[in-house]
Amino acid sequence: MTTTQTQAAVRGPKAEVPQKPVRRRREGAAWVFLSPWVLGACVLTLLPMAVSLYLSFTDYDLFNAPNWVGLRNYTQMFTEDPRYWRSVGATLTYVVIAVPLQLALALVVALALKGMKRGRAFYRSAFYAPSLLGASMSIALVWRAIFNDGGTVDNLFGTGGWVNKPGWALFAVALLTVWQFGAPMVIFLAGLQQIPGELYEAAEVDGASRWRQFLSITVPMLSPVIFFNLVLQTIQAFQVFTPAFAVSAGKGGPADSTLFYTLYLYDRGFVASHMGYASAMAWVLLIAIGAVTAVLFRTSRSWVFYASEGDR
Amino acid sequence: MPGSRTRTSFRPRAAATALALCVVLAGCSGGDASSSAGGKVVLRYTWWGNPDRAARTQEAVDLFEKKNPGIEVQTSFSGYDAYKQKLATQAAGGDAPDVMQLDYRMIDQYASGGVLMDFAEQPAALDTGEFDAGLLATGKVDGKQYAIPQARGTETVVYDTEQWKASGVELPRQGWTWSDWADAMRALAEKTGKPGATDPGQSEDAFEIWLRGQGKALYTKDRKLGFTADDLARWWTFTDKLRREGVVSSAEQTSQIDGTVENTPLGRGYVIADTNWDAPSSGFLALIPDGVTLAPMPSGEDGTPGQYFKPSMFMGVSADATHPKESVRLIDFMLNDAEAAKILGATRGIPVNETLRDAIAPELKDFDKTVYDFQASVDGKLEPPPQAPPSGDSALQTTFQRDYDQVSYERMSPREAAENYITEANAELRP
Repeated sequence: MTTTQTQAAVRGPKAEVPQKPVRRRREGAAWVFLSPWVLGACVLTLLPMAVSLYLSFTDYDLFNAPNWVGLRNYTQMFTEDPRYWRSVGATLTYVVIAVPLQLALALVVALALKGMKRGRAFYRSAFYAPSLLGASMSIALVWRAIFNDGGTVDNLFGTGGWVNKPGWALFAVALLTVWQFGAPMVIFLAGLQQIPGELYEAAEVDGASRWRQFLSITVPMLSPVIFFNLVLQTIQAFQVFTPAFAVSAGKGGPADSTLFYTLYLYDRGFVASHMGYASAMAWVLLIAIGAVTAVLFRTSRSWVFYASEGDR
Repeated sequence: MPGSRTRTSFRPRAAATALALCVVLAGCSGGDASSSAGGKVVLRYTWWGNPDRAARTQEAVDLFEKKNPGIEVQTSFSGYDAYKQKLATQAAGGDAPDVMQLDYRMIDQYASGGVLMDFAEQPAALDTGEFDAGLLATGKVDGKQYAIPQARGTETVVYDTEQWKASGVELPRQGWTWSDWADAMRALAEKTGKPGATDPGQSEDAFEIWLRGQGKALYTKDRKLGFTADDLARWWTFTDKLRREGVVSSAEQTSQIDGTVENTPLGRGYVIADTNWDAPSSGFLALIPDGVTLAPMPSGEDGTPGQYFKPSMFMGVSADATHPKESVRLIDFMLNDAEAAKILGATRGIPVNETLRDAIAPELKDFDKTVYDFQASVDGKLEPPPQAPPSGDSALQTTFQRDYDQVSYERMSPREAAENYITEANAELRP
């Protein structure tokens, strides 16, 4: 520190063209302050990704040096592994059930909160709380206990243990996700407050019903926010791991009914030690999520309405 | 005053640079911090097991620390399924514990993957003179001693003593066959109104014993599958039929099995009998207050015994252990120290040290004595154990359970599931 200071002191008066070095120095400072992030991104994200891409073409098994096997992992996945397709099926079912339900619930609660005069801050926090808690392992374990046989739900309604019934286990996991509607709800709430009040006033003067107002004003005006939430929650749902892992006792059971893609990936990598195969699965998931997002963006042109378009 | 401005603006940058450097340097030097605290040698020792084993192991470790003031042992334990995954991850990351408990299934994989130390590197620290040579050899891979067997164990039909006796059904006897077993379970279900046993269809161990009872084996000498889809389909048809009759546990119960006694149907009080290894069955005592009895596993229809004495657990030392000598000394203490043997009893099975085995036999009490007597009752009547299972077996054990889930939840026929398993197993065992 002292050396830098003296250097600065020496260099200071010598500075002839002040502008260029100052800009360079500013850039330097930017890099220094960015360095923790850049370092983290390189060492913790980019490097592992590159290694994983390489490993996906090998038979790496954690213990022995990887051998190049070309596309074998990929062909095995698509043609020889029935359990892989079961995991794809379970994941898609989950995404299709959980995401719309969660968004619908978030929107309903946001609408209710918007009309609220008193206590909104309290309820907003109260409804947001599960999102903070829900991602944790402990809540997922509690969830399993609640929906297990002899658990709360079984005792109250005599449903038996949902988590042990192949037809119901996935629903129990989806319910845990839906319960965490807080994040999209807060975003919806912010979006709702952006909609100009005069639109509703004008509609009321024209005699539009509440439902009509919702369909013709709220939904189109909110569509960019709905789209944003849809993309974000879909991406998240594809990668769901913790709740499914805990609720299914780490096995994606019963009978593979909650064997989500990430769970099967974990199983191949960390239980069966086929890291090469697991890496290949991870890359296919990345590409699949990219494709689904691209499709969502493509369809958004026909239903997402941006206020700026209206001006044109 | 441009000069002074420059000077002040440099200060925070220099500070930030220094800070960033400190962080980077600190990050690099963290490696050895855990291996010696306060001048002590610190060892990490991990195992799987039930709380009873944990308490006794901790007691023995405390005694070791008392006798070796320079060594501190950090212990941790979990259920088998969780342990298996954690250890594999640690080992792959080059962070295997110094001393680890290993299963017969793990040795081949861990030794050939360079995770384990050859005990020949520390010949003085461990005395194997009192071990049965044949048993000791089960810890060898390619002629090198990578693991030391801690005990031997065998499978058992463990049952709730009171409930079985109260039902009036004839008790299991030596040499009973699988059809005798099925009849007994059927009678128990009739008399008590709940399933007789845990569905053994999900257990690769039980299947192996059934298979051996017919003179076959799980794996051939050259590490391929030793049975066909027909064999497996017959086994699963047998258990599936019993499940449909309500004679063995329902799919909802069976699928909760996760390697702990607490989550077995017997541990949860839904059935009267279970199949398990003998020593871990001590965990049932905490759950079934009236006590449990150990009976031999059923034999093949012609009387061929399927069960065998398996080296139940091994101890191994990490190839990267910072203190290999102390690590081996801990193993020596656990296996050869008379006091430790007394504390540990039969929590991992009957000790391998033959002098200690004879010495503690009269002093064994409670469940330890039960295990000892049970082993004595079948000793000499069993066939020799198969060779150590190939690397893929550890994963196949889980696959076996999952494929049977498809049968018990009636999503596949036994034949379909069996053919699935054969395909998966062949892929897993592909060299």
